Amino acid sequence: MAATHVLPSPAPIQRPRMIMVATAFVSAAALMFFAALLAIYLTNRAELVSVGERWLPEGVDVPLQQPNVMLFTLLASAVTMQWAVYAIARNDRANTYLSLGVTLVFGFAFINMASYLYSLMELDIAASQQGVLLYTITGAHLAMVVAAMVYVLIMAFRALAGQQGPHQHDGISSAALFWHATVVVYAILWYAIYVTK
Amino acid sequence: MAITETRPETALEAHINPWDAGDEYPSVAAALGSGDHKTIGRFYIGFALLFGLAAWAMQGLSMLDAGGIEVLPDDAVGQVYTLGRFALVLLFAVPLFLGVATYVVPLQVGASTVAFPRAAALAFWTWLLGSVILVVAYAANGGVGGGRLKAVDLSYLALGVIVVALLLGTVCVLTTLVALRTPGMHLDRVPMFSWGVFVAGSIWLLTMPVLLANIALIYVDHRFGRPSEFGVAALQWSQLQWFFQQPQAFAFAIPVLGAVGDIVATTSGERQRHRGLLLAAIGAFGIFSFGAFAQEVFNEDVWEQVLFVGVGLLIVIPVLALLGGWASTLRAGKVRLTTALLGALTAGLTLLVAVVASGLYVIKPLQLHDSVAFQAGLLATVIAAASLGAIAGLHHWAPKITGHLASEGLGKLSVLLGFAGAMLAGLPLCILGFANRFDGINDAADALNVVAALGAASVLGALALTALSLLAATKGPDAGDDPWNGQTLEWATTSPPPNGNFATLAVVRSAEPLLDTEEEQS
Repeated sequence: MAATHVLPSPAPIQRPRMIMVATAFVSAAALMFFAALLAIYLTNRAELVSVGERWLPEGVDVPLQQPNVMLFTLLASAVTMQWAVYAIARNDRANTYLSLGVTLVFGFAFINMASYLYSLMELDIAASQQGVLLYTITGAHLAMVVAAMVYVLIMAFRALAGQQGPHQHDGISSAALFWHATVVVYAILWYAIYVTK
Repeated sequence: MAITETRPETALEAHINPWDAGDEYPSVAAALGSGDHKTIGRFYIGFALLFGLAAWAMQGLSMLDAGGIEVLPDDAVGQVYTLGRFALVLLFAVPLFLGVATYVVPLQVGASTVAFPRAAALAFWTWLLGSVILVVAYAANGGVGGGRLKAVDLSYLALGVIVVALLLGTVCVLTTLVALRTPGMHLDRVPMFSWGVFVAGSIWLLTMPVLLANIALIYVDHRFGRPSEFGVAALQWSQLQWFFQQPQAFAFAIPVLGAVGDIVATTSGERQRHRGLLLAAIGAFGIFSFGAFAQEVFNEDVWEQVLFVGVGLLIVIPVLALLGGWASTLRAGKVRLTTALLGALTAGLTLLVAVVASGLYVIKPLQLHDSVAFQAGLLATVIAAASLGAIAGLHHWAPKITGHLASEGLGKLSVLLGFAGAMLAGLPLCILGFANRFDGINDAADALNVVAALGAASVLGALALTALSLLAATKGPDAGDDPWNGQTLEWATTSPPPNGNFATLAVVRSAEPLLDTEEEQS
């Protein structure tokens, strides 16, 4: 064996920021996924509009009020998520649990409003490409919200178990990173799908 | 980067190699439940080689059928063709390199484990499950344009599962590269293969989600729609085929460039000349292989766009730069003509052929983009280059993977077969692409297709020989820790490496830490 085995005195074991790096990679992949779906959505819409047709089928009305509420819910949740990162870095346990809890409540509120919006739209998935596109994109985003909530929940339990603290809060920071990616994706969907119909 | 200043934590108990437990054979549960990166890597390599044999067989059958020899029932021709494409890329090339990367990259960067060992294991088993379901769904008359609706749904679900699993495996390897490097190993000091995997993984991470989006739309439309647009049987393949065409096809050969770099430097005994330039060339090759924008179905005039034509022509430059860099290193050193070096050089030459074909492909007046044959030839050449690169890499790293040297005789034979196959599997189809301009070629279409089928069979034979060579190696003499006089960290540990990979490691001060040590001692 080559004699490379002379080490300086061992450094104290310290977990590298693996989870932060991995979450950044996953968020990048998720952004590409939604970018691809949106590109197809906008291309097909532009094609239809350019020949003078309406994008949404007759009788289908996608209101803007609910998407607005959903957007502000998620924007607020981004603030509470960052509040959690700030609190755990300063070992403020009460604020950490409170902010993580409020973030999860915002997540539930978002899903609740999304299901209400689905019931209002009266868009049949089987009738047209519009239905397929709209439900695939918003459905995939709902799945991302659920994944982000599970992530936050796991990190909340880890914080409760004492695994997250002022010197080690990568878990909550990375959950926050993924949460913010979720919010950014929704902000783009909100403009591309609900505002410009 | 601050995160490399301390060595990562050592492997946990759950990540121990089940073959190191002391028993002759590990328990099934220990083998299946292992998060040891070496065990996962071996599993990937074994199953990907198996799927690779099937993939090249399907490629050969498709070409035989196109050559007028009816070996397939009429209603199965399209399905064998599309499954062959999925198999070449998603069941063979990508998982094979992911497997070699899962095994070798942690060793090369001086890590004790792959990042997230359990996630890496989950990725492998999910990929295997998805791949088996895909094959079963195709067998039940599913797949692209299949006849049984539920089986078609199932095959798209399986494709989605495969893509997600490969993405997860990629994230684990990329995170290892970014966060688990040993002290002193800056990102520009990682061995060439690790750099190739870093570039390849980044491109896969950005393009495979786009394929997933296509798959999701087809699945939702087919399963819940009528189908109205995306899921219509005749339109399904047109939404997916960008993944197998210029320029995206080149993304599956990026790790080859890295493997060749490591092999050339090691066998010549010299430090790689112009290392920074070669790293940049591999990066440029990766960027030029980003093909998510070239979806003809949504981007109809993509053939006329500067971006598409530009990358098709520019991708020749990094390959020429790499060939030049390798040649200058080989000239400077004492060359040992090993299987690995022969495989590496033939893989490089095959890629050169592929990028020249890519350059022709984007020249609009040649009208090659209408030719299905040319597209198939391009993919066959790229995947054949990947196969040769894999043959070279597996022979090079066989001591680390099996503890023994792979057979040089079988290895050289497999390189010979592989290179002959690589030329025959793709070039005749590329020539066939010119049939719209030269009537004589059209007359020879059947013969050209049959030659391409023989080429596919030859690559299949080469892969089978490599598998044999690896299996035979386990009965052969021990390789020793460093049979090639290696330069990078994987050769500083035992063959195969122990749990935790390294006892201790010196701080890395250059891209070839073992040469540094040698020089210090002399």
